[in-house]
Amino acid sequence: MIKRFEDTLQLMTYTVLLVLFQQCAPSRYVKPLAKKEQSAGFSFGGPIIGFAGASIPIPFTTLSYGRGLSDRLTVYGGCHLTSLAFGNVQFDLGSTYGIWHNEKQGLSGGINLQTAMAAGKSNTARLWPTAEVNYYYQPGKSASYFYGGINSWFELARRKAHEQEQQRHLIPNLQLGYTIVKEKNQHQFELKYLGIGIPNLPGIVDYRGLGGKGSFGIYYCISRKF
Amino acid sequence: MEKEVLESTTAYQENSKMKKILSALLLVLSLSACLKLDNNLFNNDNTITEYKLDNYDGETDFVLDSSYNIPSQKITFLTLASKLDSESEPIKIKAIYIGDVSRIGTDTVIVYCHGNKWHMDFYWQRAKLLAHVNGKNKYGVLMMDYRGYGLSEGAVLEDGMYADVDACLAWLKEKGLSDARLMIYGFSLGSAPATEMCANHHAMHPSKLLLEAPFASSEVMVQDGSQLNMPASYFTNVKIDNAEKMKRVSQPLFWLHGLNDLFLNYKTHGEVVYSKHAGAYKQKMLIAGTDHGEVPEKADFRTYLDTLGKFIRR
Repeated sequence: MIKRFEDTLQLMTYTVLLVLFQQCAPSRYVKPLAKKEQSAGFSFGGPIIGFAGASIPIPFTTLSYGRGLSDRLTVYGGCHLTSLAFGNVQFDLGSTYGIWHNEKQGLSGGINLQTAMAAGKSNTARLWPTAEVNYYYQPGKSASYFYGGINSWFELARRKAHEQEQQRHLIPNLQLGYTIVKEKNQHQFELKYLGIGIPNLPGIVDYRGLGGKGSFGIYYCISRKF
Repeated sequence: MEKEVLESTTAYQENSKMKKILSALLLVLSLSACLKLDNNLFNNDNTITEYKLDNYDGETDFVLDSSYNIPSQKITFLTLASKLDSESEPIKIKAIYIGDVSRIGTDTVIVYCHGNKWHMDFYWQRAKLLAHVNGKNKYGVLMMDYRGYGLSEGAVLEDGMYADVDACLAWLKEKGLSDARLMIYGFSLGSAPATEMCANHHAMHPSKLLLEAPFASSEVMVQDGSQLNMPASYFTNVKIDNAEKMKRVSQPLFWLHGLNDLFLNYKTHGEVVYSKHAGAYKQKMLIAGTDHGEVPEKADFRTYLDTLGKFIRR
């Protein structure tokens, strides 16, 4: 899709980063860690956009750390490196809870708080809760598994710039992924459909969505248990 | 005993790993810089060597037929000095005056602040069109390249852009133009200097403000892109806060916007700017099925000119 506007790729880069800011990591700890188990991960990925005639995902980077408090409950935190490069301190803290599982499959849910602020600038601190539910299925003998789920960001503010009403309070996303589980390392591949039902026009980013709505995103995360 | 030593070694190894992870985090924190996207916001092209005007064969929003041609004696290329308080030396910026320079003292002049794209050649057709409001060359038109655009020197800066337009107003004042006969028209990014000239004290005080597809602010741009109540300062130091400045604009306002503007949403940008206007008179022209940059053509050139003409005469 070619959009008609006065600016070109430079401006696209600008706004792409705005959106990536909020969708810069795959699902974390779909399958809860075992009690006292720890894991550190590095991820990158983001929405797919049209750029210079091609469809590309923008790599956004995060570092994360998680710890199993029990066999069902994992707590974790993440640091968003690309945001940091722009002078914004963005962290997230969350937990995953194993709702149900048997030998082959399971269901997990999680809540998370995303916090961000521009370093040295007043009135820039923001907090967005997110919630997530995932189903995972282990098809073979190995511990590797497929998963799928839904998550949403919540905007709590009632007003936005210039005293205008903040009309959108829910930003839902779908995810499908596969995690290759090795003895110590895990490789997680995830496809997201971001902003379900949210029109991606007007705007200056050439999103690769469905019928002018949302955007696809792809993510990769490598993590190590210890 | 052996077991204790083994446990102690394992604990030591885990601590060592944790230290490595924490060190990596600290390294990232210490290496983090305050990158901003300010330079990416501006889409200037300063690689040209001359202005080609009617001979320009690059992309434009539209091309006028020959009936809109301007006699060469009515086109004057200008080099003006623009200086910010923080600068020790002025920057040389380029401008084009369409009309008779010797008659500026008795003419009405439209200052045209162009959008974000490239340089004046891209906007030449628009400037020519404005030279036909209420009749061919009835009014003078002054268009400039902001610093960093086209052949203007320097690097693009939000404040620099305001200083550049102010330098143009100072030149017009020097030529004898009065505030009452000065109109200012801003398209897209150009809505920022146009609004600034009306809202705050500068070399001249325009009597009317015309805004086509205006920005509301960087904040709105960020929030439109993210769907969240996110501060613009996360990404840029550029403010372009027309919505706030509009509270200080008392001049009559004419807002033009395409209802299908896929770049600057007419509701989140244009309507907000329009609603904040502090003056007693304002009017709008919203064109259905019209995208960014298409307003003059989709409205029909004659209708566009007639409507502008009536607003300027009233």
